Amino acid sequence: MKIGLFIPCYVNAIFPQVGVASYQLLKKLGLDVDYPIDQTCCGQPMANAGFEDEAKKLAMRFESQFEKYDYIVGPSASCVSFVKENYPRVLKKEKHLCESIGKIYDICEFIHDVVKPNSLNASFPHKVSIHNSCHGVRELFLSTPSEMNIPYNNKLRNLLNLVNDIEIFEPKHIDECCGFGGMFAVEEQAVSTAMGRDKVKDHMSTGAEYITGADGSCMMHMKGVIDREKWPIKTIHVVEILNSEG
Amino acid sequence: MSTAHSKAAEKFLKNSQQAEWHNETLWMVRAKRDKLSKQVPEWEELRNNAEALKLYSSSHWVELLTEFEKNAIANGAVVHWAKDAQEYREIVYQLLSERNVKNFVKSKSMLSEECELDDYLIERGIDTVETDLGECILQLMKLPPSHIVLPAIHIKREQVGELFEEKLNTEKGNFDPTYLTHQARKYLRQIFLNADASMTGGNFAVASTGEVVVCTNEGNADMGTAATDFHIAAFGLDKIVPDRESLGVFTRLLARSATGQPITSYTAHYSKPKKNGEFHIIIVDNGRSEILGNEEHRKVLNCIRCGACMNTCPVYRRSGGYSYSYFIPGPIGINLGMAHAPNKHAGNLSACSLCLSCSMVCPAKVDLGEQIYKWRQKLDELGESNTTKKILSKGMKLVMDNPALFNAALWAAPMVNKMPRFMVYNKLNAWGEGRDLPQFASESFNSMWKRNKVQLNDNKKDNE
Amino acid sequence: MIIKKTMSSKEYILNKIRENTKEVFDKPNLEAIPVTVYKDPVEKFKQILSDVGGELYEQPEGENLNLEAVIKKFFPEAKTIASTLDEISFANLNPNEVEEPKDLDGIDVAILKTELGVAENAAVWFAQDVKHRILYFIPEALVILLKKSDIVHSMHHAYAQLEKEERPCYGVFVSGPSKTADIEQALVMGAHGARRVLVVLQ
Repeated sequence: MKIGLFIPCYVNAIFPQVGVASYQLLKKLGLDVDYPIDQTCCGQPMANAGFEDEAKKLAMRFESQFEKYDYIVGPSASCVSFVKENYPRVLKKEKHLCESIGKIYDICEFIHDVVKPNSLNASFPHKVSIHNSCHGVRELFLSTPSEMNIPYNNKLRNLLNLVNDIEIFEPKHIDECCGFGGMFAVEEQAVSTAMGRDKVKDHMSTGAEYITGADGSCMMHMKGVIDREKWPIKTIHVVEILNSEG
Repeated sequence: MSTAHSKAAEKFLKNSQQAEWHNETLWMVRAKRDKLSKQVPEWEELRNNAEALKLYSSSHWVELLTEFEKNAIANGAVVHWAKDAQEYREIVYQLLSERNVKNFVKSKSMLSEECELDDYLIERGIDTVETDLGECILQLMKLPPSHIVLPAIHIKREQVGELFEEKLNTEKGNFDPTYLTHQARKYLRQIFLNADASMTGGNFAVASTGEVVVCTNEGNADMGTAATDFHIAAFGLDKIVPDRESLGVFTRLLARSATGQPITSYTAHYSKPKKNGEFHIIIVDNGRSEILGNEEHRKVLNCIRCGACMNTCPVYRRSGGYSYSYFIPGPIGINLGMAHAPNKHAGNLSACSLCLSCSMVCPAKVDLGEQIYKWRQKLDELGESNTTKKILSKGMKLVMDNPALFNAALWAAPMVNKMPRFMVYNKLNAWGEGRDLPQFASESFNSMWKRNKVQLNDNKKDNE
Repeated sequence: MIIKKTMSSKEYILNKIRENTKEVFDKPNLEAIPVTVYKDPVEKFKQILSDVGGELYEQPEGENLNLEAVIKKFFPEAKTIASTLDEISFANLNPNEVEEPKDLDGIDVAILKTELGVAENAAVWFAQDVKHRILYFIPEALVILLKKSDIVHSMHHAYAQLEKEERPCYGVFVSGPSKTADIEQALVMGAHGARRVLVVLQ
């Protein structure tokens, strides 16, 4: 199976190490992975602000860039779920049948559901608190939404359990939004910051040294709060933990 | 880049102690809802069926409402139809003035809020008393409700105590909720027993029996209708359900979702007038038939007005009901406001991080968050889109559509990391008010890939 | 003289609905819902009754019910005890004999009988069979006689049962005492209806 690596815009610009870890991890798992060059953005920031049509050209480009791959895998639950939820509709207006949605996965989802490794040669001797990001939970079902009455399952926890020496926690408000929301962070600055502060405090109350999740955008927002308040907790993407040296 | 909601929310958050209390208290109600929903193994099936029942009902309004009317009339009730708020008010006023009603008691009805009934009647000399404790407090304070189920959630006991000292002659300085509630009981009991007529809303209107079902915890609707001989029950088209079997689904979902109780203390079924009394029913449209025709947004008609979406909404909890321009706040309020009057209420659309928690708690599976996203796409054509956001989006599109530009931007971005703080954090930087900016990586992924720095380990492995 | 016929509001509304009905959905089959049934619905009823603030007296097996003694025990201060039930000889007020609903204000305890209880939420059904329906709300306390064999599992079961009966002019499910949490979410028993509800399980 040929895997095309999907690198979201903010990963490209702010967290390239997450892209590197994604690539290396997939290679470690023995997979044939390639990066279609010069990716830019899936269009989510424009669409969430109300300009979905601005993403048309990006969607078409995305489709052609990933056409020849069996799987599209990316380290961002929110970008992957954006493509799945919205590309078919956006592309329908261009009279194009969206092919990507049948084969696109968030990287944690992919490793958990498709690769299913029994072990990882990884070690992360730290306390981590899992950040269950909204799109990951409620669109990709990376973990059971706390609102629903279905049995608890957390794919991120399942994967982190394969890592040696790690201690895993979850915050009290297990999947309450951190307040990023794209343009929301700027347009409703006061509420967004209040949500971010509450969320970081909740993570800190577990005693964890790291907040870890599948969405770098959430990490970025929480890190903004942490840096401003100079709070003693760090952020790291799940993929970086899974890729750590055993 | 601010909206009506964002400005009001910022004000609300300035009182950080009150804001924190509001947030935590409403979360507790969400937590109570969770506890009870998880005790019902078939909870998700109930939700699926509630959704299906509402979709069925709203696509059969003509049949079901005419069936309801026929059965209600056979029960001895009088049925009126109101096209809009004005007609509704006129019907109520006419019924009351014909019978010389001076003292009128009401139980909580969001429909009556929507149609602004109370002031209309009071201006015309009919003393109209809200008997739900929360609504009663707000009526005395001359304030609107800030939540559809917990209307006075934003009011502290000290405020109630001082209000009651003034209006009810209660003990000075006694702010105990139990004491205050029992004083209100005494006060309202006299009002009930001296009332000439009563009015309720309707949680559900049952087509097969012509019944109106009213759910309360306080028993105020019940006291009011039991103490008087003239009862008016008004409900919106969307309250119609086919039969009693469907009530089984709805009565199991409503209180669990709203307050975390297995059922409200009272679930009254009104069908016939009292022996020497009258029972009048008003069926109200006021825009609902239009909404039915709006394919992307008609699911708001599924709403059973439980308020669970408000309790879970992280934005509502941190901004309060008064930050919204529509009389119903929170996720359902944003959507109902847009469905009824999009240009008037577009300022609420920012009040959402698209977390979708609302869609997950909704007992009738209204796709609340998804609809807010769809409304945002229409802002431009409504003439309501924010210029700054539009420019930012167009700017982003320009960069993203053009890989060379994008790569150039990524190459230049790290310079922001080194800029002096005063240049970065100022009034132009809304992000930066409460947070630090992220640090741009010194080298982007695109660049690293091209310079073989990502595939580094590959080469090492290949050479081993 | 031409009389102009204006459309009634009803017709106007129904026409608007017809114009706007774009998609039609089928009625779901509610019988397919896997409704929870309890191994012991009576135990469930008792547990929930306590959760909703109600009180319980269980008639001991094999013994006759001395209701007067039970009421004296639970409501020692009660002066006015009302009941329309023939078998209650110790009541000192027959609510059917008063003129106005307001004349029932001041009842300390009203004794009522129900023939339907619901385990999942401790609700009991009253089909109005008294002159003044205010009797279900105005007394300070309600004492409700309920046979264990009349307890069904859920609201689905309850409504199915009610379908078989003649519909009363008014009916109400009552679950525990009247309550409110409108002041700071602090739960208070006794808003406008009964402050206390005692279920006597027979």
